[in-house]
Amino acid sequence: MNTTPIASPGLPLAMPQSIGGETSQAREGFGEILLNTLNQVQQAELRGDRAIQKLHTGEARNLHEVMIATEEADMALRMLVQMRNKALEAYNEIMRLQV
Amino acid sequence: MDIFTSIRVASSALQANSIRLNTISSNLANIETTSTPEGGPYKRKSVYFQTTPLSFQEQLNANLRNGVQGVKVTEILEDTEPPKLVFKPDHPDANEEGYVAMPNINLLEEMVDMMNTTRAYESNTTTIKSAKKMALKALEIGR
Repeated sequence: MNTTPIASPGLPLAMPQSIGGETSQAREGFGEILLNTLNQVQQAELRGDRAIQKLHTGEARNLHEVMIATEEADMALRMLVQMRNKALEAYNEIMRLQV
Repeated sequence: MDIFTSIRVASSALQANSIRLNTISSNLANIETTSTPEGGPYKRKSVYFQTTPLSFQEQLNANLRNGVQGVKVTEILEDTEPPKLVFKPDHPDANEEGYVAMPNINLLEEMVDMMNTTRAYESNTTTIKSAKKMALKALEIGR
């Protein structure tokens, strides 16, 4: 399986730069957090892929480690999907606001 | 992520138990082996388990929270008990009196050991499964 690393696009989700007084501290917007999580999930999936590959080529001697790597990837992906659901929910909630 | 710590601990136990099963299978395979490269009959092998810190981070956590440690096989010990002497004058490895030194392996003991190992492996996979179940339950909070 071939997966390409996620390029960082200009995320539309970036938070407004300064709210009130604190500027430099909480600059990391939700978009960046999401991107970081996305990359971590990608890493977990790559680890799982590599583990399976090693198993097939006979390099990995432990079946359980391969299984655990894939399980970790699975859980990371589920976590990401939940985050995405939450974000979408919030977005929809705002779109439903009456003007 | 803390839920993965328990998985890693269980994983180390799985590893240790598979090594244990390897030694048991070696013992069973060589239950009647009378000659080895080192000379003398095969000696029964048993594993020696020791707790192990998983990584620096986890060592730190263990010290802070007084607890989690993995396991690992640090040594495979050879039995020191004398071999069983069986009277078999026509055996190539027989001594002058006609006795052959047989490995001191008890089949029943090995079978019980194997059952223990299997159960230990099972219980550790159950730990992994329930850790995963807990993580998934936590994700259900958002739904």
